[in-house]
Amino acid sequence: MKFVIKSISKNSGRLGQLRIKESQELATPLLMQTTKGGSIPYLTADAFEMVSNEQQLLQLTLSTMDQMAESLALWTRPLSDYVGLPGHNTVLMIRDPCETTPAGGNDRDVMPLFTRRGKESLTATQYMEMVAKFAPDVYQGLCDADTNPESTKKRVQKSVDRTERFMNECYALHGKEQRLANSTLLAPIVGGYNTFARTQSIKHAKEQPAGSYGGYILEGFHTNGLAATTLSAAQLLPIVEHCLQQLEDDKPRLMPGAFTPLLTLELIRRGVDVFDTSYAYCAAANYKALTFSYTKDAVQHAAFLDLTDDEIKEQFTPLLSGCTCLACSKHTRAYIHHLYKTHELLGPILLMIHNLHHYLGFFAAIRSSIAADQLPELIEHVRLQNTDAEIDYRIEANAKVISKAAMGKGFIAAAV
Amino acid sequence: IPPLTYKVVAECSVSKARAGLMTLRHSEVRTPVFMPVGTQGTLKGILPDQLIELDCQILLGNTYHLGLRPGIETLQKAGGLHNFMGWPRAILTDSGGFQMVSLLQLAEIDERGVNFRSPFDQSECMLTPEHSMQIQNAIGADIMMQLDDVVKTTTTGPRVEEAMERTIRWVDRCISAHARNDDQSLFPIVQGGLDIPLRERCVFALMERQVRGFAVGGLSGGESKHDFWRMVDVCTDHLPKEKPRYLMGVGFAADLVVCVALGIDMFDCVFPTRTARFGCALVDGGQLNLKQQKYKNDMTPIDVDCGCNTCKRYTRSYLHHIATNENVSCSLLSIHNVAFQLRLMNSMREAIQRDEFPQFVRDFMDRHFVGEPIPTWIREALAAVNIELPEDAVQPTEEQEKRTEKSR
Ligand SMILES: [Zn+2]
Ligand SMILES: [Zn+2]
Repeated sequence: MKFVIKSISKNSGRLGQLRIKESQELATPLLMQTTKGGSIPYLTADAFEMVSNEQQLLQLTLSTMDQMAESLALWTRPLSDYVGLPGHNTVLMIRDPCETTPAGGNDRDVMPLFTRRGKESLTATQYMEMVAKFAPDVYQGLCDADTNPESTKKRVQKSVDRTERFMNECYALHGKEQRLANSTLLAPIVGGYNTFARTQSIKHAKEQPAGSYGGYILEGFHTNGLAATTLSAAQLLPIVEHCLQQLEDDKPRLMPGAFTPLLTLELIRRGVDVFDTSYAYCAAANYKALTFSYTKDAVQHAAFLDLTDDEIKEQFTPLLSGCTCLACSKHTRAYIHHLYKTHELLGPILLMIHNLHHYLGFFAAIRSSIAADQLPELIEHVRLQNTDAEIDYRIEANAKVISKAAMGKGFIAAAV
Repeated sequence: IPPLTYKVVAECSVSKARAGLMTLRHSEVRTPVFMPVGTQGTLKGILPDQLIELDCQILLGNTYHLGLRPGIETLQKAGGLHNFMGWPRAILTDSGGFQMVSLLQLAEIDERGVNFRSPFDQSECMLTPEHSMQIQNAIGADIMMQLDDVVKTTTTGPRVEEAMERTIRWVDRCISAHARNDDQSLFPIVQGGLDIPLRERCVFALMERQVRGFAVGGLSGGESKHDFWRMVDVCTDHLPKEKPRYLMGVGFAADLVVCVALGIDMFDCVFPTRTARFGCALVDGGQLNLKQQKYKNDMTPIDVDCGCNTCKRYTRSYLHHIATNENVSCSLLSIHNVAFQLRLMNSMREAIQRDEFPQFVRDFMDRHFVGEPIPTWIREALAAVNIELPEDAVQPTEEQEKRTEKSR
């Protein structure tokens, strides 16, 4: 993996090019495609191609794919082929950013992996053996990321210490695994909201010999799911800034989680390079269409359209006027409301198509505005949406929507 | 131009099978045709664009469900179901009666219509032939069904005759109430249980009505296959050749092949999409339950010869892992299963056009019943239309006969 910075400005973020293997270059700030069980949530490969034909970085997660490890050990083609998305690049991560990771299970030498089948425990050696079976293009180092704004100092310190022990093994094993010869390791930076702990974690990574890892993954700010949409900027941004100041410029910085569009922009302004689509997913799963504007205009906009709202029952208009996605060009609010009422799978499919289209457009707009040195203007536009107050981008669990349990394994039972 | 024209394109010189072209307001439909069931105005997790890519020409919608949600008013405001769901091709709707009788335990039928309690507010409701027409006119399907008096296929005695007679009375009420005869074609439904004279009387009575096609109803509900094929056979013996014939609720592969041989043109069934939800994929030899351990490391597609997007991209191994776990597995398997059904119909149509249908049937049965004797009812049904199958080395056991009545 190669990363080249194209431009850096003090207040306006940075533009870069990420080249993974010999594939084409991916422009940063970059949106990774979050997956579940290896697939873009709700979307078949050809449905996703109706959203984008561009090369993607797929964010695969062990917590939704661990059961495939044995099969993948027998797979000789690229990992992306196995999940039906050939030609794309893969990053293997541990936790699913779309769902809350349960707390606990952090014993001295093992890391808890929460899967659909319950909790499993992995030692660093077991973790590396598993990663080798996947043979991803990029993967994260093992870390204890079970910290959030409420974590105690003791818990934070433990996460840093355990991560160091895990990573010592990961660094050692990374070079030995034949199937990881072409994979790039990302160094995890943990330490909750504690500057001292963060510095310690960064120091450990930077002590490694040159070439030990190819980028950073900033973890331990939240424990995934909707909670990431409610993080306080005032709390998060200083600690992230503290970390970024200590990281060299020529390595990409990834930060998984469903941050709001506004917080994402603030993180980009400070130098985070790679995000994921879990926010677009969390909105779709809760029957919300993204409607915020990222193009300067004079009209007021709302963050979302709630498709469970009975008021739209007879609105035969697109989710978002002017949107060119498949859902908006061929279907109406009224129809998607009907799909919600009847618990039909096509509802979240159409919402996911729109939300991904919208969010990919958002990231393209971010890159252009950095290039034009106008990121602060974009942030102001996203913050207010031409209203008088800051827009609320948090996503709350929509109680009217069929529960996650019912849509997961149990959705079969619910559908019968 | 009439809203439905039907032309026989080719006839099998041996059996009653025929290939036809049905031209509807929203699309041309090449028969024999399988119509996937999109109960609530959507086909389980498949985008309309994906259905068009599969060359699906006509979908089925359920009047009972659509009448409840989104309801007539909304459908009217949307300009009909085609507009509402963004499906540009043809749609057929049922009358709503069968769904009510099968879904609602408290449904009762009298001369006025079907009485039931609303599942939402428990209020007493009545679906009359007129009401069914009103809803179907609002839905605006290319083909609509009369409300019929539905009895269990296993019912015997005077109730069967009563239902048959009432169905004929109701078709007249439907014809009078049908407000869009220039846009939508109403099909009457042949009833008469498992009684050949009753079926004949019903066919002759319905043929006196001004209609553009016919449905055969009251079958595929648990009757023995020996009775089933004989009822289909007697109906197609008498129904006019120049109009399409629709056999309601039939969709297992072997049944489709037999009934095409008997002269049926249109079929529908929820089975291909329902079985997809449980991780099952249709193949020539029946179906694969992908949840089984033997598929865990199987790096081949469901069917190497299938050109669907699922088979082009995904292995059995991957599908094994995500089936019933990830929502997308439901879409992937539904796409394959619909592709399977449509391909089967297409290959029958092509065989009929080449006048090689009898050989097609023999090859199909050979592939379908691998290592198993062909059930007696299939031999008898095909023999009735002059298609002889090669002798099996062994006779099917009673258990094998029973199994094929249901599962294939
Ligand atoms: Zn859209
Ligand atoms: Zn297929």
